Amino acid sequence: MARSIPFLTLAAAAALFAQPPVAPTPERVGAPRGQNVAGYNIVNSFETGYRFRDVSGNLGRYRSDVNFGNGVRLLSSRLSIHSREGQGAWFDELLLNTQGLGNDPYQIATFRAVKNRLYQYNLTWRLNDYFNPGLTIANGLHALNTTRRLQDHDLTLLPASNIRFFLGYSRNHQYGPALSTIQLFDSRGAVFPLFSDVRRLQNEYRLGVELKASAYRLNVSRVWENFREDTQFGAADQRPADPASPARLDAFRRDEPYHGNTPSWRVALFRETESWLALNARFTWSSGERNFIFDESATGVDRFARNRQILIGGQARRPVATANLTASLFPATSLTVTNHTGYHHTRIEGDSFLRQFDNASLSDDFLAFQFLGVRALTNSTDLTWRPRRRLTFFTGYRFTDRRIRSVEQITSGPFQDRLPAQQSNRLHAGVAGIRVSPVAGLTVVVDSELGRADRPFFPISERNYHTLGGRIQYKRGTLFLSGLARSLYNTNPASFSYHSARQRNYSGDVSWTPAGWFSFDASYSKLHIDALTTLAYFFESRLVESDRSAYISNIHTGSLGVRVQLRRRADLFLGYTRVQDRGDGRPSLFTPRSTAPGVAPFLIGAQVFPLSFESPLARVSVPLHARLRLNFGYQFYRYREEFTVAQNYRAHTGYASVLWSF
Amino acid sequence: MRAGLAVAFLALPVLASSTNFVGSAVCRTCHPDINQNFFKNPHYRSSTSGSEKPENQGCESCHGPGKAHVEARGGKATIVAFSALRPTQVLDQCLRCHESTLSRANIRRSEHTQSDIVCTSCHSIHRSATPKNLLARGQSSLCYQCHPAVRAQFNMPVKHRVNEGFMECTDCHNPHGANAPTWRMGVRPRMVHQALGNEEPCLKCHQDKRGPFAFEHPAVRVEGCESCHAPHGSTNLRLLRRPVVFTLCLECHNGGGAFGRQGDGIRIQSASHNMADPKYQNCTLCHVRIHGSNASPLFLR
Repeated sequence: MARSIPFLTLAAAAALFAQPPVAPTPERVGAPRGQNVAGYNIVNSFETGYRFRDVSGNLGRYRSDVNFGNGVRLLSSRLSIHSREGQGAWFDELLLNTQGLGNDPYQIATFRAVKNRLYQYNLTWRLNDYFNPGLTIANGLHALNTTRRLQDHDLTLLPASNIRFFLGYSRNHQYGPALSTIQLFDSRGAVFPLFSDVRRLQNEYRLGVELKASAYRLNVSRVWENFREDTQFGAADQRPADPASPARLDAFRRDEPYHGNTPSWRVALFRETESWLALNARFTWSSGERNFIFDESATGVDRFARNRQILIGGQARRPVATANLTASLFPATSLTVTNHTGYHHTRIEGDSFLRQFDNASLSDDFLAFQFLGVRALTNSTDLTWRPRRRLTFFTGYRFTDRRIRSVEQITSGPFQDRLPAQQSNRLHAGVAGIRVSPVAGLTVVVDSELGRADRPFFPISERNYHTLGGRIQYKRGTLFLSGLARSLYNTNPASFSYHSARQRNYSGDVSWTPAGWFSFDASYSKLHIDALTTLAYFFESRLVESDRSAYISNIHTGSLGVRVQLRRRADLFLGYTRVQDRGDGRPSLFTPRSTAPGVAPFLIGAQVFPLSFESPLARVSVPLHARLRLNFGYQFYRYREEFTVAQNYRAHTGYASVLWSF
Repeated sequence: MRAGLAVAFLALPVLASSTNFVGSAVCRTCHPDINQNFFKNPHYRSSTSGSEKPENQGCESCHGPGKAHVEARGGKATIVAFSALRPTQVLDQCLRCHESTLSRANIRRSEHTQSDIVCTSCHSIHRSATPKNLLARGQSSLCYQCHPAVRAQFNMPVKHRVNEGFMECTDCHNPHGANAPTWRMGVRPRMVHQALGNEEPCLKCHQDKRGPFAFEHPAVRVEGCESCHAPHGSTNLRLLRRPVVFTLCLECHNGGGAFGRQGDGIRIQSASHNMADPKYQNCTLCHVRIHGSNASPLFLR
């Protein structure tokens, strides 16, 4: 039993740090050594029980944020089988771990089988029930209630030899109902709800080989990705969201199959030996291609009586090539120099023909073709110098040259227009810092980065930016203390446009496990964001160019966890997390703000979004027997927006379970 | 040079000749607690092959020859004790065998290595808390320890499900170092595990956003998903960087400067829009295919 204490302590500490949902129970029962059967050692455990929830307020928002429901679950299971002598007949190691099977929104199973020197197989299977309730961001009209199933298989043959083979397969399947919107019948038309049956499937097949010769390894892999989307859309007898609108959608149907492949190659040559040089070179190429057909018909009424049919077809292509070279030099024991060069080239091109018949505007033929090419060359050099055991200086320089080319071609009847453009952006950035460890266990790091770009792509991109950061950590035994402060300032001034973003983050963390029966963890973080950006928009047919967005957010996040083992008769865990965005400190939405006077009324509510989200939890786990535990847990969630109430909710959740292990 | 370094850091009064290796069975005498469950440890495989040289077998494959340690009846000065090594020495020692994995090919340039976060900072060889990869704690717990700001992000109401166990940090990140990203300016983020080796990791799961599309929103391909989304967690719906979508769009679509594909400013909304009308304050109400479209250059369908 004494040997199990470190294991229990580690498991409990792990639970503390991650602040996961209240279930499954992290405590273990029984001796961790397991049972020996036919040359194998077997350790197994199951936790099964009942989850409950009781939600008041906006259930949709709860399902979007948390989504745990009612019912019986296999909350977790763990199986490990190891051969004692490393000479098993079919396998030497077999691991199977599951979580949430039964009906949890997050279900996971991982499996590993290993036969020493012959094969290693890994499987990860995941299921996510995702609910998006159509929240205010899109006038409440975009909703999603889909299931996503993911599986990844990886098999390595001859893992310890000089020639190794890799096979892999991944599948990503998303399906379920969704609600979107469509604007009919022209750009001044009304917006109608649009129902769809989401059906997306991605398959990926991988094949690779790795050869070792001398000190070098050559890895070649080939990947075939196939994607199929067959989502169907439909609506009938719909009215727009605006009740004053006379528009009406009588019938709507759209089929939009979208299929294609992305085959890719990856070739890597690398060397990492005990010498003065480590090398890593890599080349990748992928060629994405998708074919599509878009068939839509709609009948209804707007300003005119309308019927519309659209047929679109074509192909989209995107070849991507990258090359990377990393060289690490060790000219002295205290000096490391690393240089990395990266090159990538993306070409996005496609053709799309459109045939549209509209009985109000008669018919129209239209062909659009667009090309977007991105080529970037980046080089970074980092130098680390350790003149003393407890003192390190580091510095680095980064340079990037990125060129963007685009061509836009529009054909409408006999008229053609072609608009080519090209621009490039160069970034020069430097980093520097010092790391000191004045006494054992204490580390202090100060670092900074300064960057200048001459022609960024967006008004909000990094142009003149700098970061300054400091970190202090102290670790002694099971006590861990850390503090972090970091700021990122960026300004991007241009003609008729100005962007300034400031982000400051302060955080602290303490964890302590003085004894096997007690552990404690607490953390606090403050994230401050303020961004000021020029806006231009139309307001009642008037162009407004002098307005600005002034977004302010002050997010405080704290978490606390305490675990106590009560005379080995029960494990008690208490936890609490709270997130609070205080916005700019205004008590109500309509209080004038001092930082941005005179903003348009519709912007007032968009600049700040104070809210709070908190979740206390408690869990008790009682060992009934050497191999059996009884567990109870309760977790409360409260989400509250300060300026509105529509999305607020309170949720009482919990579980009761039995954990059995051998 | 680093061979010399290896000898120097060992600072042992013995030479690493085969006569100085005593075998794992001898180690078991004084370290039964470590030996007891060592058959579950992946490093145990080195002992079972029967074909490895003494310096690549069992305890001494990592801790060096044990003869002097045995004769001195223990002590950190007579053996390779990882707790007494410098971070770079720990890395060198582990890479003797673990250099063979492609995912670790960039370990020398990783920010972790440059910050003296090396193998034993995250992996606990003899007291692992996880069934795989010998991690000292659960993966997210381990990362949060040094990244409390990230921990705070995953505690927010809108987040990727890492705390729930559905995802792990390594779904998107490679803690052993990565090549330059193919988006933004190729400098940051530095430790991202790219999809297909050259795309943002978001596309591994959000496959419908991958494209290619006949009309791609350049924001996605040029500056990446982070232009609009905060990938770890956010107080805003859909992990957006702003609470209301039109501010997010209008901050770029303001027509100013020499930004955008044509270098003449990113186009502003058309005069048919009226921001006094709530309909136009929800850009994605009409521009429903904002990540990319095959049927509309304005992402309307």
